Amino acid sequence: MTAVDAPPSETDDAPDPAPVVAEETGGEPTFAQRLPRVVARWAAIIVSTIVIFSAFLLAKGADPGPVLEAMWKTAMGTPDSIGETLIRATPILLAALAAAVPARAGLFNLGGEGQLLMGAIGAILVADQLDGGAPGFLTLVLMAVGAAALGAAWAALPALLKVVTRTNEAISSLLLNYIAAIIVTWLCFEPWKDPASLGQAYSREMTGPERFPVIWGERVHPGIFVAIGAAVVLWAVLKYTTWGFKLRVIGGNPSAARRAGLAVGGLSVAAMCVGGAMAGLGGMIEIAGTEGRLRPGLLAGVGFIGFLASWLAKHDPLKCILSAFILGAIAVGGSGLKISAGLSGGAVNILMALVLFAVLGWGSKPAAKES
Amino acid sequence: MIEQVLTGAVAGGTCIVFAGLGEIVAERSGVINLGTEGSMLCGALAAYAVGIQTGNPWIGVAAGMLAGLALSAVFAAMVLLRNANQIAMGLVVSFLGIGITALFGQDYVGKGVVPLETWDIPGLSKLPFLGPVLFQHDPLTYLSFLAVPALTWVIWRTRAGLVLRAAGEGPEVLEIYGTSATRVRWVAVLFGGAMAGIGGAQLSTASTLNWSEQMTVGRGYVAVALVIFAGWVPYKLMLGAYLFSGAIALNLYLQAQGSDISQYILQSLPYVLVLVVLALLSRRRIHGGPAALEKVFES
Repeated sequence: MTAVDAPPSETDDAPDPAPVVAEETGGEPTFAQRLPRVVARWAAIIVSTIVIFSAFLLAKGADPGPVLEAMWKTAMGTPDSIGETLIRATPILLAALAAAVPARAGLFNLGGEGQLLMGAIGAILVADQLDGGAPGFLTLVLMAVGAAALGAAWAALPALLKVVTRTNEAISSLLLNYIAAIIVTWLCFEPWKDPASLGQAYSREMTGPERFPVIWGERVHPGIFVAIGAAVVLWAVLKYTTWGFKLRVIGGNPSAARRAGLAVGGLSVAAMCVGGAMAGLGGMIEIAGTEGRLRPGLLAGVGFIGFLASWLAKHDPLKCILSAFILGAIAVGGSGLKISAGLSGGAVNILMALVLFAVLGWGSKPAAKES
Repeated sequence: MIEQVLTGAVAGGTCIVFAGLGEIVAERSGVINLGTEGSMLCGALAAYAVGIQTGNPWIGVAAGMLAGLALSAVFAAMVLLRNANQIAMGLVVSFLGIGITALFGQDYVGKGVVPLETWDIPGLSKLPFLGPVLFQHDPLTYLSFLAVPALTWVIWRTRAGLVLRAAGEGPEVLEIYGTSATRVRWVAVLFGGAMAGIGGAQLSTASTLNWSEQMTVGRGYVAVALVIFAGWVPYKLMLGAYLFSGAIALNLYLQAQGSDISQYILQSLPYVLVLVVLALLSRRRIHGGPAALEKVFES
């Protein structure tokens, strides 16, 4: 194994080419040659997950047919429902990027939840400072900058702990999620509580230049384009810049990278910060686009779903767009499950897990005799 | 005050002690299982539901143990048979556990529990201070008191413990002696799942006495964090679990007293404490950990 190999975690014998693999192995089959295998594989994944999920529904005593139909309608059936899926996919995509960039450097960022929330807080902090004193577009840009900065700072914590004290970044970023959620609750109940929100705890409702315009239906805002743009930029950065190359090197073999003179610590922190900035941007978009204010429980679970989306896409930012859309659709389908069949919306977590099992379990090589 | 906080620490920490002891065994074999959160949830629901169905909380605890074990079998199959990434699979398995318990747990929200009753230990429970803190709990808590020294003895003093540690430290060596490291890891992960299931059972039927979706709120992840915090040593894990739940108990106590300290600062205290201690100890700990586990993170 050379240092430029993909991280071993990326056990990829799947026919679809990760860009890293494509560079090294000449004589890859063309896309047209691979297509039948790709289609067959995805058909098998979709059929098997639906069959197993239906078995769970049957075990609960629900009729899978109408339930699945309702889920499909809620997530994909009408233009409005596709809009809902896009709205949900936006923070998932940015949280996926938050996991994908550090993953290239061999780091596990399980802190997407907290980084999203910090972004939401950063956006509101900036909006409060501006207090309507800047023109519309500039307000949104500054809010995004503030959000990205705070998201990056929150991600820098586990990265610095990793570099300085060798604290496991998966665990520390995970624990920071709970602290971020408590900070949000505190802000909503105490300093930022909107006096108009009787009983409930919200921050003030953002208006005017602090909000994205609605571009489609009643709720769809341009946030999805920002997220897709970020994915494309990161894809290009990781693929074509020396920085992206260096991340792959330290992800592949940190000690070799160190011997080659790369600043592994600095690169690790930078990778986590870029990831955190992406999640922060996701939090800002949720505030400026969808929610309009901070509330306890905002974006709960989205950071983890984003982490799964990154794994589903094998940490390729372009594929993250698709995986975030798929998981976003499943998440929105949960509302259909709840409304039509009276089942708990949380049951869609089963479906998400099954998709991941299919892709990660079937896609990876069987255990070697000697590991 | 100290008495109340410590009593709360033991009562609330027991579920984490069980999950953490199981995770120590899994990690000693070289596997880190974040699916512990899912196993705890499945254990909590299975114990709660079967307890209500049968009217016998002990059958419930057995069901909880099996449910936790079943979920960890999915994890083990993915990680050990299919070689999937441990961290990612742990989270996926927890998602599966969250989903399954959301689907099947719906009917049990708000249903009356068949509780594991408190056994006051005759004589000892009458002791001042120590009585309420240590000897007025449910039987699973006493079991956890016994499990800590028992597991310590097994890990360091028995052949099974030696094989377990060898699987985590030098799987190649183990293979030379004709024992499959993979098989050892299967047993270790399943044991970990069963223990997390018991922990979940204790949480729902002896501690909170109710069932609600995602009621473990990250305790399984905390257990995994505490295992590293404890340097894979059972008694230190127990102290860590009590520190974590003691911080929660302190918050509840101070709020009941109408304290001026912000409840939000106190709410975040358990997580901050674990994080800070973890960071302070990590520099020393990293080389104390099973070698195969380091490979998971530093490959």
